[in-house]
Amino acid sequence: MFNIIIKLAWNNAFLRLSRTILVILMIAISMAMMLSIQGIYDGMTLNMIDKTLRSDSGEISLYHKNYRLDKNLKHNIKDASQIQTFLQTNNEIEYITKRLSVEGLSATARKSAFSNVIGINLENEIAFGQFNQFLKKGDMSFRKRGALLGSELAKTLKVNIGSKIIFSTQDHSGDINSIAVRVRGIVQTSNIALDASAVYVDLKQVQKFLGVNNQMATQIAIRTHSQTLLKELKNKYPELDVKNFLELYPMLKQMKDMMVIFTSITFLIVMLVVLIGITGVMYVSILDRIREFGIMRALGMSYQNIRYQIFLEAFLVGLTGYILGAILGFSTLYYLQNYGLNLSQYSEGMESFGMDTIIYAQMNISYFTSTFYAIITASLLSVLLPLIKIKKLNPIDVIKAET
Amino acid sequence: MIRLININKYFYRGESREVHALNDINLEIKEGEFSLLNGPSGCGKTTLLNNIGALDNPDSGEIFLDESLITTLNEDEKTQLRLNKMGFVFQAYNLVPVLNIEENIGFIMKLRGFDDSIIKERVLEVATLLEIDNKLNALPSTLSGGQQQRVAVARAVAAKPKIILADEPTANLDSKNSKILMQMMRTLNEKEGVTIVFASHDEYVIESVRRVIKLNDGAIIEP
Repeated sequence: MFNIIIKLAWNNAFLRLSRTILVILMIAISMAMMLSIQGIYDGMTLNMIDKTLRSDSGEISLYHKNYRLDKNLKHNIKDASQIQTFLQTNNEIEYITKRLSVEGLSATARKSAFSNVIGINLENEIAFGQFNQFLKKGDMSFRKRGALLGSELAKTLKVNIGSKIIFSTQDHSGDINSIAVRVRGIVQTSNIALDASAVYVDLKQVQKFLGVNNQMATQIAIRTHSQTLLKELKNKYPELDVKNFLELYPMLKQMKDMMVIFTSITFLIVMLVVLIGITGVMYVSILDRIREFGIMRALGMSYQNIRYQIFLEAFLVGLTGYILGAILGFSTLYYLQNYGLNLSQYSEGMESFGMDTIIYAQMNISYFTSTFYAIITASLLSVLLPLIKIKKLNPIDVIKAET
Repeated sequence: MIRLININKYFYRGESREVHALNDINLEIKEGEFSLLNGPSGCGKTTLLNNIGALDNPDSGEIFLDESLITTLNEDEKTQLRLNKMGFVFQAYNLVPVLNIEENIGFIMKLRGFDDSIIKERVLEVATLLEIDNKLNALPSTLSGGQQQRVAVARAVAAKPKIILADEPTANLDSKNSKILMQMMRTLNEKEGVTIVFASHDEYVIESVRRVIKLNDGAIIEP
């Protein structure tokens, strides 16, 4: 019995090609679009998160308890080098770096701006977050009192490669002290705060300028994939402020949540359009065959079996659409993952939000599983209306209509 | 076997164009009978046949099949009854367009759960008898009207139902195929005791049946 139902469903799905092709294309194109949008949204969010992790916080950062409230040099981690050395032995930590930051004023002969001198070890930073990839202009070098400037700060100060700037701040002893540095490179991290204020200088030079020992730092940043390390470090260093990147950048969490909402809304809209589209085509297609169903009922086929047949037909069409959509979506995502989506014409807006102008899409298996459920559900729902019509159908009406 | 008591059927009831399609029909068809409903066009042959076949409901009266009242059955029960006891040949061929001829002929047998090998054997048997065995793999749309009618007949008889109800089964057949069809019906009737009720005004059919029930204006004028 069931093989005749399968046969009817299969033949109806694939012998009535124009209807089937229309539905399959509708599903496949919508699905490919949906997957691409989802991939791009996730790509944008992850790109922002990735740059923040690489340029600043890592997955976990350690500070003096009061540092984030009052960025005074006295709120430093005194034994930062020891902690760093100790943490380097932890297998769960992939990279670790320490930084010494101090707020102050950068000035040229004509312009001045609030800025933040950050003492870094360039080699460490390259290993930690591929810092060299942030270089927009010039060299990644601190040679001859060189400094790397955030791109927005460079614009504000109207300086270029080779320009000299003076940075003034209060040193460790409380005196106002100044250091002259020469711009060797301009970096763009897409971290808005850093790009607008950061003056990267060699760590040793900053330590010397501020009159602090080489043990001292204001931040220790860690790259890790461990889910438990944060708790471990919080327990181990109760005197320090141990935070993960979402605590440090709550906006990123909001952004991440917002993207989930955006994706869900887009997903719902696309699926609703798909549902309405398939319902329209399936409704017309099934009602076109109402006589056929009437005859089958007259011959003794039960409504339940007709329902199985129609659901199976919708499932087959939906599944074929899904497979084609998955291939199309995968190809589009593969392209966008490797070559990116170039949005350079919106570069100003994108950069002000801390985003790259080329967005590289993400691709997750969950995209394909969620669309699978959605498309199969939409396909099955699409035949409910015609099924109600068939349930009410009296075979004699069909037989009479043709005699 | 089939008993109709005071059957009345109206179309467009309560409207100015009301038609009294079946007028107080009382009829008994015994098991193994080969009968014909005969009369002019519009006399109620098809309506009566549809009522006997549980496809249509009378407005009043009762229909018994094997002493069971069928007029009170629900749609699912009627569907089961038609599947298990009846074979239909409609005026239009009503084949399933996406199934090939072999699958169309074996359709009811499949629904009834016959074994595939039995279906294959029986399909070939009736298809050979009706000379459509060379078309078993074709789709209905590729067949002529006469060939499609033979497939419809083959489908009705293949499952060996207890009753065959046929509405103008020879209407699209030439005289040679009409003879083959009637011969096959006679064989089914005589050898297997299948009850057959035809609705037709084909002279050849009138000559072939054992009982002619004449109708006029919805009433039986000659039982």
